[in-house]
Amino acid sequence: MLNRTLSPELKEIDKIDFVKPQIFDISKDVKLFFMKEVPNETARLDLYFDAGTINGDTGIASFVNGMLLSGTDEKTSTQINNEIDELGGFFESGVSNENAVVTMYSLRENVLPILKVMTDAIQNLVFHQHEVEELVNDRRQKFKTSMEKVSFLAQRAFQQRLFSESIYGRVTNESDFDTISTDSLKHFFKKNYLNGLTKVVVVGDLTQDEIDEIIDLIGSWASNTTTEFEKNIKNLKGYSHLVKDGAVQTAIRVGRMLFNKTHEDYNDFLILNTIFGDYFGSRLMSNIREDKGYTYGIGTMVAELHSVGYFIIATEVGKDVKDATLTEIQHEITRIQTELVGEEELNLVKNYLMGQLLKSADGPYSMTDLYMSVEPYGLDLDFYNTSIDSLNNITPERIQELAVKYLNWNDMTVVSAG
Amino acid sequence: MIHFERFKLDNGLTVLFHKDVTTPLAVVNTLYDVGARDESEEKTGFAHLFEHLMFGGSVNIPDFDAPLQRAGGESNAFTSNDITNYYNILPAKNLETALWLESDRMLSLGFTPKSLEVQRNVVIEEFKQRYLNQPYGDVWLKLRPLAYHVHPYKWATIGKVIKHIEDAKMEDVKAFFHKHYNPANAILCIAGNFELEYVKTVVNKWYGEIPRGIKPARILPVEPDQEELREEIIERNVPTDAFYYAFKMSERRNEMYYMADVLSDALGRDKSSRLYISLKKEQKLASEIGAYITGSLDNGLLVISGKLNDGVSFETFDKALWKELKKLEEHPISDKELARLMIKMHTSKEFQDQGLLNRAMNLCQFELLGDANGINEEHEIYKAIKPSHLQETAIHILKPTNCSILKVKATQNAE
Repeated sequence: MLNRTLSPELKEIDKIDFVKPQIFDISKDVKLFFMKEVPNETARLDLYFDAGTINGDTGIASFVNGMLLSGTDEKTSTQINNEIDELGGFFESGVSNENAVVTMYSLRENVLPILKVMTDAIQNLVFHQHEVEELVNDRRQKFKTSMEKVSFLAQRAFQQRLFSESIYGRVTNESDFDTISTDSLKHFFKKNYLNGLTKVVVVGDLTQDEIDEIIDLIGSWASNTTTEFEKNIKNLKGYSHLVKDGAVQTAIRVGRMLFNKTHEDYNDFLILNTIFGDYFGSRLMSNIREDKGYTYGIGTMVAELHSVGYFIIATEVGKDVKDATLTEIQHEITRIQTELVGEEELNLVKNYLMGQLLKSADGPYSMTDLYMSVEPYGLDLDFYNTSIDSLNNITPERIQELAVKYLNWNDMTVVSAG
Repeated sequence: MIHFERFKLDNGLTVLFHKDVTTPLAVVNTLYDVGARDESEEKTGFAHLFEHLMFGGSVNIPDFDAPLQRAGGESNAFTSNDITNYYNILPAKNLETALWLESDRMLSLGFTPKSLEVQRNVVIEEFKQRYLNQPYGDVWLKLRPLAYHVHPYKWATIGKVIKHIEDAKMEDVKAFFHKHYNPANAILCIAGNFELEYVKTVVNKWYGEIPRGIKPARILPVEPDQEELREEIIERNVPTDAFYYAFKMSERRNEMYYMADVLSDALGRDKSSRLYISLKKEQKLASEIGAYITGSLDNGLLVISGKLNDGVSFETFDKALWKELKKLEEHPISDKELARLMIKMHTSKEFQDQGLLNRAMNLCQFELLGDANGINEEHEIYKAIKPSHLQETAIHILKPTNCSILKVKATQNAE
């Protein structure tokens, strides 16, 4: 008779195969990363540009990014989009603080034809006035809609207070949409795109000739400057609230400046982060969602920038339980600082994180992303072996030590909107 | 080509096995043939609330998630108007842990009062977060009852009103479980690097003794043909006027479904689509516009939605839209345009099929439609579509008497 109360015997993950992409030089500082081992017809190409929000006045980076396919003297934006669609390509572009990334998904046989359309569009981009106006108008509408969301308002205020005086702390205001000039867009574009390519990633079963051709097509954009990134950023401690009339939920953000993968405490802190708030069974989820029912979800993460990082707790809760939630978050911080984590909970999290790492290394796309998330810090895939060592050696005492060191309520920036 | 094996247990459970030798992971996906359409009109939101309760412990195991996490895995689920789908991803060597957990909650739930009380609150917060506290968040709560008068698609999966969730009782929960959660009403798919014999052995071990249930008969009210243009205007505190044109279309198992799907792509999938070019780029009436289908199993909707540019009236937009739709009825689309839609579809299908979880979920959904092999046949159905088919579909679907329009007027723009 089957005993259903007992778990089947658990087997440990004994090894994870990490596969490194091939690396080619585009220029002295700019490299192409190539993951060829794709067992199907799909391909992805990413172009990274030194064109993040910190590289220009507020709004500029995002506007230029939105205009990349907006037309040349020869072709309208519609013609360009039509040509890419006729080749079955999907084009995406986005901006973060420190980068802009242009991504193209397609069948492998269409990578080069699509890239040719794209490079022609970018190389000869003219910033037609009507296209600028249309984009500004669309972005203004989207911005106004975002400003109606408590999650956006809280995140925006959090960013301002977390990065305080630093360039990372600037946010878009509605007035930015009035002051954008085509000249400033052109200037940014020339500097940060046509001379701003910082890396290229190709995933797909392409030939060496095709890789060479890709390098020929985009090589002239290679950046030859190095951007300086701020290192000493201090968050404004303490609490602030933004009123949003009519909201039935309140968004909460709590966090502090921290480190990135280059710091010796990073791997161990990530285990603490998971226990505290980064999986379905975390302390915060168990208490605030699964015991109290205050929220649909609460989570924490360590976000990384080039030279620093930050820790953040994020949630949306019923408007009448905002204070109760903040109290419970503080309670959970105190608990993890004063009581040792039990063996059972720690083992569970260790196994869970090993499973997550196995998943992150599964398949060519995930594997490439895993590599690309250590590469900016001058690290190699060996970093993940140190993560595994960290999982094998972590102790309840070490978790407590890190909680005491990094999770003090008085060090936190606390923001709510609702 | 996505290979699979199929076998059935004596208790009625349908099992699909998809072998993938390239991954160290396994997926265990369970589709229950129950969705919001199976709820009573006085107790809506129940299929979804129930999905939450499925994580609150089963008859022999107090907690669903922790043992799975201890095995290096994770789990989630979703509910639609048609189905409820649960999935687990974990290291392949711990497959049995997922089977142990999934089979136990198929056998019976824990039905603890605490779980019901907490998940009621969690779902109410989900209702607020996704439907009430977002600009345009309540649109589908309004559009569904406009488009459907009789069929249960007239309410959203989250439920009609919060009160239905507040009022959920333990006896309702138990009755719902006993009616819908049994082997005969489920499709299980296991994906990963296993041998078929092993899969059969472990599935039999964990699921074999679950008592056979009865697959509940589904008799739903049939939505009568729509014979008039429907329109509703709501005023909301949003920055921009928004529009939703919902056209009735065929059920999932009809070839017209595929034609409507391609038609929606022609109208508004990409920046090269008709409405985007005409109404946004050329006439500058809309700041956003797109078209898509709901993908429902019963008669679904083809929806055209977007936002107006500032200063553009609904009337001006409305005229221009109908004029554009009329073109599809009057002239067949060119072979070139159709080829463009097909290659986009082909690219997205290739990307979807490369995820193990996607393959497992889709196999279950095609099995529900009648045959899991549909996953391999669909592309041919799309390829057989001719411009004349799309023209006929446009004539059939894109007419005012088949349309329900919801307009969201920004308070500041209201008179």
